[in-house]
Amino acid sequence: MLQAHSPLWHYFWVAPNILFLILGVLLWRRGLAKQFPAFFAFTILSSLSQLAVYVADVTPTVTPQTFWRVDWANLLVAGVLKFAVIGEIFAHLLCSYSSIARLGRFLIRAVGVVMVLAATLVAAYAPKDGLFGIVSGAHLLEQTIYLIECGLFAFIFGLAYYFRLTFGRPVFGIALGLSISACFHLAVWAVIANGGLPNQTRYLLDFVGMATYHVCVLIWYYYLLVPQKAIVSVAIPLPENNLDVWNRELERLVHP
Amino acid sequence: MTLAIVLVIAAALSLVLTLGITLSRSLQVSKEAGLAGQIQPIDVEAFRNLIDPAEDEYLRRRLPASEFRLVRRQRLLAMAAYVQVAGRNAAVLILMGQRVLHAGDAQTADAARRLVDNALLLRRNAAFALLRIYIAMAWPTSGLAATPVLHSYEQLNGSAMLLGRLQNPAAPVRIAAML
Repeated sequence: MLQAHSPLWHYFWVAPNILFLILGVLLWRRGLAKQFPAFFAFTILSSLSQLAVYVADVTPTVTPQTFWRVDWANLLVAGVLKFAVIGEIFAHLLCSYSSIARLGRFLIRAVGVVMVLAATLVAAYAPKDGLFGIVSGAHLLEQTIYLIECGLFAFIFGLAYYFRLTFGRPVFGIALGLSISACFHLAVWAVIANGGLPNQTRYLLDFVGMATYHVCVLIWYYYLLVPQKAIVSVAIPLPENNLDVWNRELERLVHP
Repeated sequence: MTLAIVLVIAAALSLVLTLGITLSRSLQVSKEAGLAGQIQPIDVEAFRNLIDPAEDEYLRRRLPASEFRLVRRQRLLAMAAYVQVAGRNAAVLILMGQRVLHAGDAQTADAARRLVDNALLLRRNAAFALLRIYIAMAWPTSGLAATPVLHSYEQLNGSAMLLGRLQNPAAPVRIAAML
């Protein structure tokens, strides 16, 4: 069952990507594509490029070299789109608050630079695994993209937590799904790229990665398509206190 | 393999952070009813006294150097406690303001946005001020300006008062009373 080219393997590779493509169409039909253009592009292009890799894998006439070239193209497209989506999440989170928007932009750029340097360093120290350059390079590229992504998401969630900022429901869903996907895939690709594992174990890790992606697609469906429960807005119970005395004191302090 | 283990641990920590924050936020939503009660009163006058450079100068002139450093450190510790409370109050106000942000009434939503913006500024300044206070603890004789925090706090008072008035005209500015 947990073998390459088993029915479960085909399902995990194809189904999430078809679901993701359908999600893109649904976003467009519901007008959410304008609100989240980068994520919309990610749904369409990433799922199509993943399906292209699948077709390249199952078509007997495609040579291994061509397959890895298609995989590289897919990785580059998905990588660029993921960083565009992260930018979109960050813009939705901070840009309406002028007081910290500038600081936020500065910090995320700084974190981005640090993560790129860290990922480059990690890739440079990765052991040579005896595979062809095009294969191990693809593994390292996966690891690099997910490492940067993980760092950026840890920063975004940490910043939102410190400033008690609430993501909107769709933005939160997008961030949560991408973040979970990045963490699991980083672990998987770190082991694949650096662990020197036998093929059988690699297939198991492939299953972990594909299953995680499937769960993330379902998370995106839930947060983007299922409407939020209606929240009954209650007036904030304002605390009782001696307002006049406090205001007089403040006036005295502000205008001595 | 060591590199792989380090990366797996990093990924696990990142996942725990994300899920932990997600969980804490959902718990926070259920506690939001009692938010206003979490605001702690701050004696702004005492804080002003603590950050007054003239007070520091007076103490420097009156006390021997070793005693001054001791007193200065104690004053810095007290200052840090005030700033931490101010930062926590700002966090509560951010949550309260965000709840009202999407109110149907444009004036209330506008006041809420201003409140959130000012509270965010205060939280940012509180973080910077804390950093400066802790650095100053290492060099107690250096100058320290926590004035931006106080300025933000006073601005925040105004925003909270306006939001209080708009939300509940019958009982105006009670939030501000706690600040």
